[in-house]
Amino acid sequence: MTPLSFTRERSPSEAAEAADIDVTPVMNMFIILIPFLVSMAVFTHLAIIEFSLPPNVGTGLDASSGKPKLKLTVVVAPDYLAITHGERMLDSLGLVAGRYDVDGMAARLRAHREDVEIKDEVILAVRDRITFKHVVRIMDACRALGFPKIGLSSATDESRREL
Amino acid sequence: MRIPAVSHAQEPGSSTFRPQLTSLVDVMTILLVFLIKSFSVEGNLVTPSPDLELPVSTSEKPPRPTCSIEITRNAVVADGNVLAALESFADADSLLIPTLYDWMRVEREKCDDTAKAPEVMIQTDKEVEFNIVKRVMYSCSRAGFADFTVLTFEEE
Repeated sequence: MTPLSFTRERSPSEAAEAADIDVTPVMNMFIILIPFLVSMAVFTHLAIIEFSLPPNVGTGLDASSGKPKLKLTVVVAPDYLAITHGERMLDSLGLVAGRYDVDGMAARLRAHREDVEIKDEVILAVRDRITFKHVVRIMDACRALGFPKIGLSSATDESRREL
Repeated sequence: MRIPAVSHAQEPGSSTFRPQLTSLVDVMTILLVFLIKSFSVEGNLVTPSPDLELPVSTSEKPPRPTCSIEITRNAVVADGNVLAALESFADADSLLIPTLYDWMRVEREKCDDTAKAPEVMIQTDKEVEFNIVKRVMYSCSRAGFADFTVLTFEEE
């Protein structure tokens, strides 16, 4: 014969109350930790792009002529991008939907890179009226292609030269 | 007449008020995770000027402390000092900005004294034309700075 049990079964709500933990210390920790983390949080990440004036982008001189070696140059004009090597025009890309065709330029630059001697340097020759955000975008494309040394120079405005 | 306080969290027959903290702890936990994600031990070594909107770049190279020049939409500024208004030199025949050149000469001498690399960090607004940046670069190079960096926002 089993003994009768007189202990009362707990209702679900009572069981929940028994498991209720004291969160006050956790809240205290949060209140200390959160202002500290807010003070150390960085919401905008800054970065830099390195570049030089063209004579300092490598100092390689041609042994035979004594002149600086020719480097790939990207000319940034208001309505096109051009890739040149010395005085030789290699490619020219017009605007696509009012924007520079940076992807197209990158593909052409990658192809021309195989044909030139200096493969880690590129010069950006920028016209006066180009806003700097475009220059940064093209610099990014050049860095992504593996040109760690970027030279920034001014391009002669042909229309002004004629005047 | 005394109105008894009614609370769901109050135990029947108990006089102590126990606020329901669970939802608050949930909010705090989400906040904590977000803040830990954006936590940076070294913080920002460089604070961009509030007067300019930096261009966005895919570069991930962190800025380092060096001489800094800010080009806002109105002026060239260094250490909070307005060196030249953009209109004063934007269409000038000479590429040299005399006030900037004088400032950078002093900075260049400081670099010699401290053995700091002669490098200039240009903080420029993304809408500034290259004509302006070119003149700033020229003035800096005449003062003895040949290497430059440009400060950008890192693309997310």
